[in-house]
Amino acid sequence: MKNKMLSATGLCVDFFGLRALDNVSLTISKGEIVGLIGPNGSGKTTFVNALTGQVAVSAGQVTCNGQNITGLPPHKVAYHGIARSFQIVRLFDELTISENIELGAIAQGVSRKTAKDRANELMIKFDLQSYSDQLAHTLNYGDKRRVEISRALASQPNFLLLDEPAAGMNEAESDTLLEILNQLPQDYDLGILIIDHDMSLIMRLCTRLHVIDSGKTIGEGDVETVRRLPKVIEAYLGSSADSEEKDA
Amino acid sequence: MFNKNTMATFFILIIPIVIIVIGVDLINIRLLNRLAIILCINMILVLGLQSFMGNSGILSFAHIGFMGVGAYTSALLAMPLRMKSMALPDLYLMLKTIEISPYLAIFIGGLVAALLAATISYPLMRLSDAAAVITSFALLVVLHTVMVHWSAVTNGPRTLFGIKAITDIYLAGGVAIVMLFLTLLYKESRYGLLLRAVRDDQVAASAIGANLSKLRWIGFIISAFMAGIAGGIWAHFITSFSPNAFYLKETFVILGMLVIGGTTTVTGAVIGTIAVSVVFDGLRAIENMINMAQMFPKPIVGMTEVVLAIAMIATLILRPGGITGSLEVGCWPSIKKRLYHR
Repeated sequence: MKNKMLSATGLCVDFFGLRALDNVSLTISKGEIVGLIGPNGSGKTTFVNALTGQVAVSAGQVTCNGQNITGLPPHKVAYHGIARSFQIVRLFDELTISENIELGAIAQGVSRKTAKDRANELMIKFDLQSYSDQLAHTLNYGDKRRVEISRALASQPNFLLLDEPAAGMNEAESDTLLEILNQLPQDYDLGILIIDHDMSLIMRLCTRLHVIDSGKTIGEGDVETVRRLPKVIEAYLGSSADSEEKDA
Repeated sequence: MFNKNTMATFFILIIPIVIIVIGVDLINIRLLNRLAIILCINMILVLGLQSFMGNSGILSFAHIGFMGVGAYTSALLAMPLRMKSMALPDLYLMLKTIEISPYLAIFIGGLVAALLAATISYPLMRLSDAAAVITSFALLVVLHTVMVHWSAVTNGPRTLFGIKAITDIYLAGGVAIVMLFLTLLYKESRYGLLLRAVRDDQVAASAIGANLSKLRWIGFIISAFMAGIAGGIWAHFITSFSPNAFYLKETFVILGMLVIGGTTTVTGAVIGTIAVSVVFDGLRAIENMINMAQMFPKPIVGMTEVVLAIAMIATLILRPGGITGSLEVGCWPSIKKRLYHR
């Protein structure tokens, strides 16, 4: 297929009459890392939830490689090669790390052996081999994050949606994560959408940015362009720049 | 098929069953034989309940209802023809002329229970938590009501008699071992593993592609099959019964065994059944002795149920994972590594 992309067109989400997402359009192509930023409560996670079928879309369309996947239940969205991580880590606590990662592949219908092989490979990549037989709830937060990303990758997705992957990590851990994430589009031939508050992480990772505030798009484009948009400076970068100045 | 730990679990868990079966046969006391057969049948029931409840995390009250389905099905199919016209004069003509081997009838009883579960339960599998528990209870009430009122087939609330006695300790124990194998096989299969993922986190499981209704449905069918088999074996042991045998009292005993042993493990199902049976039968013997010796002016009743209830409450408070916790017996040697490796 020539143009593999995940795209949302005019996406709207309503919660009991409150418009949480208003006419947001965004496209992720294979091989690129797109950043989705915006202040707290601006609708970033809601957007990811709408893409993956966790919340109902009230208007607009989601397509994956040309196929309409709007309104599909989450498990069917997953079959279209869309994997995600969560803002607050969600692992299968009573299962081992190895089983957690294998499940990413097993749920897609691959054989147990292939799943095991993929899990072993990912555990090496993410430096998790030593925890392989431990139950998931015994790990610390940073390790859990890496397990969650490994589980998502085990399904060999076309698109990976990461909701604040560096939250709860210390600087060294988040630097390591950054290196790995940077390699993913090439290594696994996938497109990534990443939500994060860590602006330096976003700036170093992403080729394109999309900024939303109160559920509406207020800017999009490459990193340099977005940085200069007055609306964006006012809503997001500006306020943080202000506080940084004050701190200084 | 199994990894090392699961294999170890299987072989460790058949030891007590084999000891019970051979021991009872050697000692050869009728009462003991009877108790051991009941123990094995209860173990099949508890293993069946564990397949669904342990892997899905959803409490099901309907289990004993499916035991009833299996019991009536196999009783009807294997009953001698001349008994049938006496015990069930209003039976449908087609069923009146059928008499098959009781062993085959027991198996078909399991299949019918599974088929019934498959037909009625799919819409219920979307429900979680309290809603799921309440619906399963409603299902038990429906199954019970049907058994009580379908006089042509069940003889209504009256006792159905004339069932062939074929169950001995070897049949009950042998089937218990087969079911132990099945339960472990299912737990470690992809469907079992995915269902456990759904149990731990529904949202994350559906995000990786797990269809939770379907996974629960498969578990529920397997569980009903095992309950149906247990029902058939029980019917051919007890030889006469009424629908009341498949209601709250039995539900409570089976649930107590699983909760006390540990819901999430097959080890818990086996150990819980044995522990509760031994205590239960011991208490009943003590109760009988006290009453026979007339130590108190009035006879004591219901001591067994009360003790089981208290034991269940105590387990849930003190050790919510049951006696065995969350690890199978085959994993116990590596427990330290799992929890404290870092």
